[in-house]
Amino acid sequence: MSLANRMALASPQIRAVCVEANEFPYLSNQFRVRGVPHTVINRKASFVGALPEPDFVAAVLEGAGVAVDEPHEAPSGPSTEMTN
Amino acid sequence: MALIPEQVRQQLKDRFETVLTGPVHLTVYTRPGSSRLILPAGVGCATCEDARQMAELLRDAAPEKIAVEVVDVTRDEERALNDGVPDVPTIAVASDSETPRIRFQGLATGTEFPALIDAIERVSRAEHGLREESVTALAKLTEPAEVMVFATPT
Repeated sequence: MSLANRMALASPQIRAVCVEANEFPYLSNQFRVRGVPHTVINRKASFVGALPEPDFVAAVLEGAGVAVDEPHEAPSGPSTEMTN
Repeated sequence: MALIPEQVRQQLKDRFETVLTGPVHLTVYTRPGSSRLILPAGVGCATCEDARQMAELLRDAAPEKIAVEVVDVTRDEERALNDGVPDVPTIAVASDSETPRIRFQGLATGTEFPALIDAIERVSRAEHGLREESVTALAKLTEPAEVMVFATPT
């Protein structure tokens, strides 16, 4: 979530929202959150796990429909299963 | 138990004194007087009071740099709508003038608390700390983009 916040500081186009998943079950259900961190871009594209900065930036751009130079592999980083 | 233990508050005070440089505006979107029961979305707010208290405790750690504004969404629905804040509690972090683009929805405890502190410090110092390549890549964004990160306290 820190990376998303830093991106919002770096780009006026980005809005970063850190959501406490247990507190908003309707959102967690809507975006099928099963593990955290779970990142959703423009309420469409998503990925699970913590990614290194270049991969995170590429995933956000891709999710926002911006062409990226190199093909981006389906990301998956370390994640924790959600417990309620 | 205190929302932020006294020892942590003192640590924050010491840290903010050296780290914070510019002003930080925390906007707390809340629904005061709500029940602590967890009710369906849009009804009640189990953690609004805690979120407001947390923002005020953070302000008290650096009152000369951090300001807190409380927006009661039951009275000022239009403001929440204009700011694009659909749920409460939300704490938004910004420097004085801008529309807040860093938000914490729900009570930022556990793993989210350090992220909130990091956001306050980075906003204050106008320091995103990203690589140059990342900033260049992000400049390709021509439309607003929302990045939601779901997290849990543990």
